[in-house]
Amino acid sequence: MNKRILSVGFAAVTAVALTLGITGCAPEKKLTIAFVMGAESDPFFQAMKVGAEAEALAQGVELVWQGDPSAYDVATQVPIVDNVLAQSPDGLVLIPTDPTGLQASADKAIAAGVAVALVDTTINDTTNAVITITGDNADGGAKAADAIADAIGYEDGKTYEVVIGLTSATATTNVGRQVGFEERVASTYPGIQIVDVAYSAANPQTANSNVNNWLTKYPNLKGIFAIDGTNASGAAAALQSKGLTGKIALVGYDAYPANVELIKSGVFTALIAQDPAAEARLAIQTLVAYIKNGTTPTTKDVVIPNVTLDANTTDEDFAKYTYVAK
Amino acid sequence: MSNSKQVNAEKQNFLEQVRASFSNQSTLLVVTLVVLGVVFQITSQGIFLTTGTLGTVLNDWGSYILLAVAQTFVVITGGIDLSVGATVSLSSVVAGWVLVKGLGLDSTTSGSDATPYVLLAVFVSLLVGLTVGALNAFLINVLKIVPFIATLATMGAMAGLAIIISGGMPLQGPNNWELGIPYKIFGIQLPISTTVLAVMIITVICGLILHKTKFGLHTFALGSNAFATRAAGISPARQITKVYMLSGGLAGLAGAYAYIRLGAGSPSNGTGMELYAIAAVVIGGVSLMGGVGRIVGIALGTLVLFTVQSGLLMVKVITVSPSLKQVIVALLIVAAVAVQGIQKPARK
Repeated sequence: MNKRILSVGFAAVTAVALTLGITGCAPEKKLTIAFVMGAESDPFFQAMKVGAEAEALAQGVELVWQGDPSAYDVATQVPIVDNVLAQSPDGLVLIPTDPTGLQASADKAIAAGVAVALVDTTINDTTNAVITITGDNADGGAKAADAIADAIGYEDGKTYEVVIGLTSATATTNVGRQVGFEERVASTYPGIQIVDVAYSAANPQTANSNVNNWLTKYPNLKGIFAIDGTNASGAAAALQSKGLTGKIALVGYDAYPANVELIKSGVFTALIAQDPAAEARLAIQTLVAYIKNGTTPTTKDVVIPNVTLDANTTDEDFAKYTYVAK
Repeated sequence: MSNSKQVNAEKQNFLEQVRASFSNQSTLLVVTLVVLGVVFQITSQGIFLTTGTLGTVLNDWGSYILLAVAQTFVVITGGIDLSVGATVSLSSVVAGWVLVKGLGLDSTTSGSDATPYVLLAVFVSLLVGLTVGALNAFLINVLKIVPFIATLATMGAMAGLAIIISGGMPLQGPNNWELGIPYKIFGIQLPISTTVLAVMIITVICGLILHKTKFGLHTFALGSNAFATRAAGISPARQITKVYMLSGGLAGLAGAYAYIRLGAGSPSNGTGMELYAIAAVVIGGVSLMGGVGRIVGIALGTLVLFTVQSGLLMVKVITVSPSLKQVIVALLIVAAVAVQGIQKPARK
């Protein structure tokens, strides 16, 4: 009932807009791009939404933004994709929460003639997708190792104790970043010893307690890699309350506005930032070009690199990469 | 004659109370703490029983004890409050929102300049907690929803609201970090900070309320026999309202504690905390069937839980993987409940 009223309302508004001739020329059917992301509560997707909305506005397409409010979960995502496809969109931007679990949903969309872009994560068989765009967690981990080595003034032949604060053993982003960090340390900085890791179970208070204990256990601790926003918050609080700001290198992940502020005050040595807004913009651009003109992208599998934000970053770049909430 | 009888009875009563406060469960927990202290001191090669580690253990204790006390009141009435963790998130986020978005402050306001704002954060958090508690009571009393489902619903709703208000990110505001730093008196470093001391005082007050007042008596009565309670002229609905508002208020204060600890209101500040609170309550000897429980046991149970959490991280002689740590904590909970099961028939 409500839906019907809403759609009648929408139709009326559209009709008025068209009669008034807002576009100024013969109206073309407005394309609809459905965007099914992972979990609304994640700042990463909040930042992605900002990019998606801006690009949809620029391209003059209608954006249908959908996803679970808090669970990054295949079980809740599959029915959401089904519902979205029932509205017959022209294109679908999908952040698959599982490579196998979302394969059928993507295939179904493609079979129905919907152009599909896969963003951030991917599915097993991407043959019929228009484009895949991913961030690179391993690259982010490697960049974090570079940032720590740089901050502690790494010299061959010396040893340095470093710890990693994780959220859980299974979060794929955590694993990718940890592996990237460890590989870079092994290949380039053999003097860095990763002496401990611990889990925060997604609670910054637990992350805070882990770091406090490390500060007692390793009096010579030189660096902390806080692998995500939760660990970054907990570690930043521990260093601030113990007056160790600037004395221990702290490299965090994700450019929350609050954490970016803390680079300026010296709490964070560096933050590794992804660019979710750029992923969303590229996906929508590519789909619109494909749907309107049949243009296929020159590179089908795009990897958006991470950036390291530190005290030397320009204000312009800070503004560009800081996650903005709506 | 009757006077001496009365004195005798009072004496006996007093002895009974002393005995009750160190019931089997509490004695057992004290022994457990001593054993854990010795084991961790050896395996950590002497760094466990230091003010550094004990300060962290007590800081964690401070984060969770208010929720465990809240849960104790609720569980004694035969209910459960699953919304306490989400209330921590929401109250800290609303406090952060008031300071950051409302008053336009940020983390550059620090030290004693920030103290009035921190107090405002405490007040706001408390109000948010009391409101969530009142909402729970409404769902239970008026809509007749069982506590498990009512508080499960508010848990989801409050966690969602915290995300909406904060935009999914921590709100970093003014903070006086000194409040969370352990005291140094005459050059001696203690493991207790102002925030931990405040939480200890609140815990003692709650203990007195539960064990020494009519309110406490009515709480026990409700959990033991709701019908008899009604027959005795106590309104179960009114008592439930008070107990859930107390629970919400304590969770709100735990939200303020999290804000001061992290210098930020974050929608994940309370993630998973309700489960630790329930674990602490069970280890502390509260019956999930209602009617039984003591604050001394809860305080000790919470301390055991976080002694293990920190202790396992401090072990140096072997590497305890974080995953194994989770298993060990789970085993501890099982052991605590199993021991209670063995104790009970013996007590009867």
